[in-house]
Amino acid sequence: MRSEADIRAALHAFVQRHANDFPLTDDTPLFTLRVLRSVHLPELILLLERLRAGPIDVEQLQPGDFASIDVIVRRFGAVS
Amino acid sequence: MSALAAALSQVSETTARLSRLSQRAFQNPYTSVEWPSTLEPERDWFSTPEYVSLHGTPMWTGLDEAARRRLAFHEAAGFYSLNIHGEKALMQGLAARLYRSDLTDRTGYLHHFLDEENKHSIYFGGFCTRYARVYRSRQPLFGTERERDVADFLFFATTLIFEEIVDRYNRVQARDRRLHPLARFINDNHHREEARHLVFGRRVVSAMWTAGAPHWTGSTIDEIRDDLARFLTATWREYYHPDVYADAGLDDPWELAESAWAAPAQRAHRRKVSAGCLEFLTSVGVLVQEPVDAF
Repeated sequence: MRSEADIRAALHAFVQRHANDFPLTDDTPLFTLRVLRSVHLPELILLLERLRAGPIDVEQLQPGDFASIDVIVRRFGAVS
Repeated sequence: MSALAAALSQVSETTARLSRLSQRAFQNPYTSVEWPSTLEPERDWFSTPEYVSLHGTPMWTGLDEAARRRLAFHEAAGFYSLNIHGEKALMQGLAARLYRSDLTDRTGYLHHFLDEENKHSIYFGGFCTRYARVYRSRQPLFGTERERDVADFLFFATTLIFEEIVDRYNRVQARDRRLHPLARFINDNHHREEARHLVFGRRVVSAMWTAGAPHWTGSTIDEIRDDLARFLTATWREYYHPDVYADAGLDDPWELAESAWAAPAQRAHRRKVSAGCLEFLTSVGVLVQEPVDAF
C-alpha cells in the first residue's frame, strides 16, 4: 500500500499521459471534459489495485467514482 | 439509413451463407462434452506453455515443472474467464441491436451470433465453476455516450479485436497435443465457431467504416482510433491477471503482473499475436499506426 502522495502522483502521471497538453489539476472533471473515457478505466483500475495492493470490485463501480483525481483518491486511496 | 444498416445490407450474401453454416453446426453444449469428475493441474497441461503469460520471463525460468503446469491451469481458467466477460458484453451489444427499428429486416445472422456466444460461455463457465473459478474482469459495466453510428462501429470493431486475439490462442491450443483433451476440446470448439464470427466481423467492420467514416469529423475519427488502441491494451492486460498468479501460489501478484507485462518476450508475443488483426484494421484505413502502448 503506497502513501496518498504516491497514489496522487501516479494518478497524475497516468491521466497526463492521456491528456495531451490539457492543464490538469486535482479537481479537473476528467470524464465531463473527456480527458478520460470509459475505455481508459481498465488500465486505471489495474493501476489503482497495484498501488493499494488490493482488488477493486468492478461490478460495484459508478461513473462518478472517477470524476476527478481528488474523488479517485478519496474513493480508492485505501483498501476497504 | 444507419451505417450498420448499410453495412449489413452490403454483406447480406455473406451473412446468408454464415447463417446456413451456423444452422448446420448447431450444437447442444449440455451433451457435447463429458466433464471429468476431477482434474490434475500439476500433472496435465491446460494451456500451451509458450502462451502462458510468464513465459520468457525470469519468473518462468525459476518455476519447476509442477509449478508451471499449476500456473498454466489457472491461466486456462483466466483465459476462459476473460472470454466469459467479453462474451457477456458482446451478447449485451447484440441483444441491444436485435430488431432495432433500422435493423428489423437484417437481424437474421445476429440471432446465430448471439446464440453461439451464449453456448461458448456455457463451456467456459462449465470449466471455471467445476474446477477453478471465474476470474473477475476490469472492464466496467458503463460506457461513454456516443452517437449511434460511432457506438455501432466501436462495438463491432472492439468485438473483432477481442475475438481475433482469442482465436489465435484457441487455434494454437486446439492443436497442442501436450494439452489435456478437455482443454483441447474447449479451444477447438470455440475456434470452429469463431471462424464464422471473424468472417462476419471483418466484413461488417470494413463496410461500416466505408459507410460511416466520410461523415465523421477528424476529432471523432481520432477518438475512435484512440479508443481502439486503448481497447487493445486493456484486452491484453486481462491476460496478466494478479488473481491467477495468486491462485498459482506466486507472491506479489500485482508487481508480477506489471513485470510480466513489460518483459521483452511478452511484448514480442503480444505484437505477434495481434499482427493479423492490426494488419486488417490498417488495410481498411481504420488504424494508421501501431497502438504502441499494447507492446
